[in-house]
Amino acid sequence: MTYKYIGKSYIRPDAINKVIGKAQYLDDIRLPGMLYAAVLRPEYAHAKIVSVDISEAEKMPGVVKVVTGKGCKLHYGDNIKDLSPMAVEKVRYIGEPVAAVVADTTFNAQKALEKIKVVYDPLPVYVDALDAMSEDAVLIHEENGDYWHLPTLKPEPGTNVANVYHLKKGKAADGFAEADIVVEGEFLYPLGSCAALEPHGSIMWFKEDNTIEGWSSSICPFIIRQDLAASYGIPEANVRLHIPDIGGCFGYKSDITVEQTVAWIASFVPGHPVKWVASRKEDFTSTLLGHGIRTIMKIGAKNDGKLVAIEAKLFHSGGAYADTAVNVTIAATHNCTGPYEFNHCDLIGYTVYTNTPPVGAFRGYGHQESQFAIERLMDILARKLGMDSFALREKNFLSEGKVNALGETMWKTNGDVKACTDIIRSNIYNKEFIKEDDDFYYGRGYAALMKSPKGASFSTKGCYLKMNIDGSVSVNMGGAEVGQGLRTIVQQITGEALKVAPERIRVYNDIDTQYSPYEWQTIGSMFTTQGGRAIIRAAEKLINVLKQTAAQVLKTDVDYLDYDGDFVYLKNDPTIRVAVPEISRGYITSDGITIGEVAQSVSDARLPRYANPDKNGQGSLGVEYTFGAQGAEIRIEKKTGKVFVDNFVSTFDVGQVINPLQIRGTVLGGVMMGIGATLYEKLEFDKEGRILNPHYFKYHLPTYKEAVPQTIHFIENPGTVGPFGARGIGEHPVIGPAPAILNAIYDAIGVDFFEIPVTPEIIKQALANKQQKEYA
Amino acid sequence: MPEKISFTLNGKLRVVEVDPEMMLVDVIREVLNMTGTKKGCDNATCGTCTVIMNGKAIKSCNTPVLKASGAEILTIEGLAHGKELHPIQKAISESGAVQCGFCTPGIVMELYGLFENKPDASESEITNSLNKHLCRCTGYEPIKDGALMAQKLVQERNKELVN
Repeated sequence: MTYKYIGKSYIRPDAINKVIGKAQYLDDIRLPGMLYAAVLRPEYAHAKIVSVDISEAEKMPGVVKVVTGKGCKLHYGDNIKDLSPMAVEKVRYIGEPVAAVVADTTFNAQKALEKIKVVYDPLPVYVDALDAMSEDAVLIHEENGDYWHLPTLKPEPGTNVANVYHLKKGKAADGFAEADIVVEGEFLYPLGSCAALEPHGSIMWFKEDNTIEGWSSSICPFIIRQDLAASYGIPEANVRLHIPDIGGCFGYKSDITVEQTVAWIASFVPGHPVKWVASRKEDFTSTLLGHGIRTIMKIGAKNDGKLVAIEAKLFHSGGAYADTAVNVTIAATHNCTGPYEFNHCDLIGYTVYTNTPPVGAFRGYGHQESQFAIERLMDILARKLGMDSFALREKNFLSEGKVNALGETMWKTNGDVKACTDIIRSNIYNKEFIKEDDDFYYGRGYAALMKSPKGASFSTKGCYLKMNIDGSVSVNMGGAEVGQGLRTIVQQITGEALKVAPERIRVYNDIDTQYSPYEWQTIGSMFTTQGGRAIIRAAEKLINVLKQTAAQVLKTDVDYLDYDGDFVYLKNDPTIRVAVPEISRGYITSDGITIGEVAQSVSDARLPRYANPDKNGQGSLGVEYTFGAQGAEIRIEKKTGKVFVDNFVSTFDVGQVINPLQIRGTVLGGVMMGIGATLYEKLEFDKEGRILNPHYFKYHLPTYKEAVPQTIHFIENPGTVGPFGARGIGEHPVIGPAPAILNAIYDAIGVDFFEIPVTPEIIKQALANKQQKEYA
Repeated sequence: MPEKISFTLNGKLRVVEVDPEMMLVDVIREVLNMTGTKKGCDNATCGTCTVIMNGKAIKSCNTPVLKASGAEILTIEGLAHGKELHPIQKAISESGAVQCGFCTPGIVMELYGLFENKPDASESEITNSLNKHLCRCTGYEPIKDGALMAQKLVQERNKELVN
């Protein structure tokens, strides 16, 4: 299919503002009468609060108010209402808000913070889910089970288990009885931070007229609006949220993170907007973390390589509050099969309270954590079977007609995973290869992958189209621009759907819940798919409005008319026509009477038949899948143990490329993020739950010099949900790097790793152990 | 005690009263309300706060404001002339180097410090400069593309200026 505006590299509409320093991020906002907050964090990761003395802080210069959690009865959350805006009787993680100072400047607020005296009574600390699940573990939430939660969740009262998700397909025991061979392993994808360059921040303003206005570096203004309205007992319509430009998200600016805390603080100084922006350290310690998933997995196969059964237990260290972790666990559990069909599945995901910052969305949302396990095990299984790893995977792919763990049947329109691995094979395996030279060991590895969105029943995205008098178009949507380039995509899809050049389409700049159409939240790599569908629907409505008006002008019936972007005309005689600008605000007749409607329309779209899981944990929880494969050619330096990635290949069946420059950028960045997790990044905790590396100079993000050469391909088997067949791509590139590189490391040095990051020290140790073994 | 200091910011003399403990970035952003310069960390690791001081790219988050006394400072707001972008801004806006844009002002200023002083900078000099900046979005390849494109545009502009 050829399109006029789809498949072309338009430059993003926000590029100019961003290169001249005029893009407005949260911390750039200035409001009259604004005050500034600083927040006190505890000395212990788990402790009872004995007393808080604010008297000295209140006397400090510039201080307007000192706030504590005393008397706070608010509980909030989207899935489990276990969160409080500020610690009340105990603290559960090292970054929790204990008290706050509101002052005339941030500087003065921070100075006063040092004068607050808190006495704590420390409790035992659990950083890992397995420790928190031990029988004698102290409860992190005595109220576990009593909090309001979604009806589909199953907390275990009297334990630290916030939810158990159990998926059963077939009978795993029968499946394993059929198996000729079984392989198993325990895998760990440790806690990390999205660590976007822009730290979290929020401005909240409790107004004298009993309304709340806020700004936040968040991708879910409508959830925040709903939540604040419920907490403060006012109509949702009286809460207004603005979302300015966002300096990167990668997951952790979804759900409610810092907003309720800033709102609690601001509620004590009505009439004043209160701004709080995280320091880099607070961005690590006091917002959401990602990952923290231990996967214990076992798969069984016949001698010919046919997979028969899978059993997996996922232990998710969910942090001090589980509201944001619980859905990550569920996604990680039902997606842990990777792109393979198993007739028998027994998959359990435990979301466990621990004493770390709460864990939430991280680009990939559960997929990279558990598919790391399956993709390593598939390689190990191929070795045990003495079978080509491509042949083993191909035999079991979720191709047309196969049924996934959730019970969803795959169709041709879900895409072609084999076509993806074929490209990996031809790219990195069909060439000369040396195993070793004086300085390096060489290896190749790859992984196939599958990505589902994580939806919700009400996960809709809206679009409001307004055709202006000159035929140009204004588009408003609720999708948050975090850097992914959705404004460009909106421009191109609207252009194609309305047959209007993108240069004549202006896409919204910020989100304002007063004016923007409703959107659940911009997550799950679903904006192009669902938002794009909403645009298509709105465009059809708008064209129909134009035709209704034109039918009156041209004295004919609507179905005899066609539209080409410039005119509405009679199909059988295109010379009988009316120009779009003449009918975009209704048609004004020669005697001044106007007929017809203004050309504007609203629509929305969600995933078709997305539903809650049934008693077996199955159901249409995925609906829209994207398949792909990623491979790595690596080199390991003998002297240092350093891994160099010389070529990283990614292939995804995205249905339809909308903007080649942008989609390449998405993959380039996503792959580097995955490589960061594989080789460098890990949040380190001591036994007391303190974070040892909450700074960029200690938490190692990949740098310019560590960028790897990448080869990127797209396959385009159109889907049925997204606009022009497009599927999601935002999160997918982070899924394959860990298993692909660890498979390549095995290929290079014959050592299997089950945990990331694999640092040079770990490799050097493994090489030394191996040498010892060889000499022995 | 607040102290009065003066410096030139984007060609204009500014006199400000500041707490001597303040860092330059906070004076630029909070006292002078020039918000194009970003603050991504507080210890000179991320590079988003990069400005030009006396012709050199520096990190303003660990530069005490007193060091700026009498200096000539250029921030991201001082590069374009109205709608006419500086060649570096043009290249960076077109190469795909902009995603979230939060690292962008720092990177543009870094390249300005490099190319305005040394238009023929080698690739390894470009690499060493850009390695002082973190980007979480792009995987750096489009930033490299943009930097190389920017260098070409600066060289072409310089040639035109000579002619």
